[in-house]
Amino acid sequence: MTKQEPTFEEKVTSLEKIISELENGSIGLEESIEKYAEAVKLAKECDEKLKKIEEKVNKIVSENGQVEDFELKEESEK
Amino acid sequence: MNQSKYLTIGALTKYLKYKFDHDEHLQKVYLKGEISNFKEHQTGHMYFSLKDEQSKINAIMFASSAKKLNFHPKNGDKVLVTGRVTVYEITGSYQIYVEDMEEDGIGNLYIAFEKLKKELAKEGLFDQKYKKPIPKIPTKIGIITAPVGAAIKDILSTIHRRFPLCETYLFPCLVQGEFAKEDIAKKIKQADQFHLDCLIVGRGGGSIEDLWPFNEEIVARAIFACQTPIVSAVGHEIDFTIADFVADLRAPTPTGAAEMVVPNRLDLQKMLYQYQIRLQESILKKIHIQKIKLDTLANSFVLKNPSFQYETKKQYIDTLMETLRKDISYRLDMTKNKWDHIKESVIFKTPEVLYQKSQEQLKTALVKLHLLNPLNVLERGYAIPYMENKIITNLQEVKKGDLVSFQMQEGKILSKVVEVKEETYDETRTNL
Repeated sequence: MTKQEPTFEEKVTSLEKIISELENGSIGLEESIEKYAEAVKLAKECDEKLKKIEEKVNKIVSENGQVEDFELKEESEK
Repeated sequence: MNQSKYLTIGALTKYLKYKFDHDEHLQKVYLKGEISNFKEHQTGHMYFSLKDEQSKINAIMFASSAKKLNFHPKNGDKVLVTGRVTVYEITGSYQIYVEDMEEDGIGNLYIAFEKLKKELAKEGLFDQKYKKPIPKIPTKIGIITAPVGAAIKDILSTIHRRFPLCETYLFPCLVQGEFAKEDIAKKIKQADQFHLDCLIVGRGGGSIEDLWPFNEEIVARAIFACQTPIVSAVGHEIDFTIADFVADLRAPTPTGAAEMVVPNRLDLQKMLYQYQIRLQESILKKIHIQKIKLDTLANSFVLKNPSFQYETKKQYIDTLMETLRKDISYRLDMTKNKWDHIKESVIFKTPEVLYQKSQEQLKTALVKLHLLNPLNVLERGYAIPYMENKIITNLQEVKKGDLVSFQMQEGKILSKVVEVKEETYDETRTNL
């Protein structure tokens, strides 16, 4: 896992920050447009991530710390 | 006085005992309470009181029953007893003859729960200041619960229904029985090493004994020590455990925990949509404001009427010129006035007044001067002797043979000195 790409939450946080900056109106027009472009990109990325419904596989961590895929035994449990 | 209607105490007590003994409800009583004033006689009989918040009853358990007990009672124990209630004639008090007694497990658990809760609260483990915020959008969640059962199923299905982006890590553990507490504590520690966004620890519903591991101190301390934000989800809505008090967040159920921890994908999408609208609006507003500013500038009087710039200047110059003109004419008028004034003045009109007096003085002076003129003397016959064009004032200047001329009124006499003779004028002559 490389920590380069910001997480979904970090992206949403940046987006929120930009929106409040733009709404406060304290920054100039040129910077505003730059920020706007950045925010639109962030929003699009987040949106795309949400639309791509790829089920994450559940993991199970064993006693010795080994991580394996975990499948729920759906029907046996009831 | 008829004494026969008065009872003896013995008779009353006997009557009461008869009443107690013939009441079928009192022959087999099930009673729940806490032991106090416990005394064990050497014969093996046990004497004690049973009490609860409202009342108290004396109790006796004979050795024959007592020896069948599987625990040793002591003060403070919560117990469930079966026995017969009757009156003890000698003291006139009613009491329960206990035939069977067992520990009130739940009652004892409750006491232990209250005691630990108090201790940990005093220590500050439940303090709000230690509560870590749960991330708004966690993408990696650790789940500490049994790998089978409703809890894990509910948690996983809820997480994936709401927020499929989320990765889950299950740390399987025992959730009931005597080894559960150590296992839960161990798995919390293990999960804490995984740098996850959030942990959920819990289990599904069950009896109070089943949920008990989550009331154990070791679990409470493991939760408190955990660096990762941790949510407790034990049993049902109504079940409160120590774990709930220590955890950063208490969820009513495992499903509830999943709902509280992960956001709903649809809500997020809606939120993002809202954000995009807000972005759009804010930037458009910004541009609009700038445009209005620009329009205002373009429509400004100065830009619309450029001539105004120099017309004002021109006007200013005109004003200056006008002022100058006025000033000059004023000065001219002033000068003219002065001139007129001068012209009208006495001195200018009759300047003679200035020198008339002097003229008269001069005339007088001239007369006086005329009187003093030495040449006037010549008129009276005197002559002035000269030698080499110099008036002779001293007799010593002249010697015999010098040429001397005499100025007379009509002319000069040239002569040669024959003799110089010193001779003083007498007084009378000089006075002339």
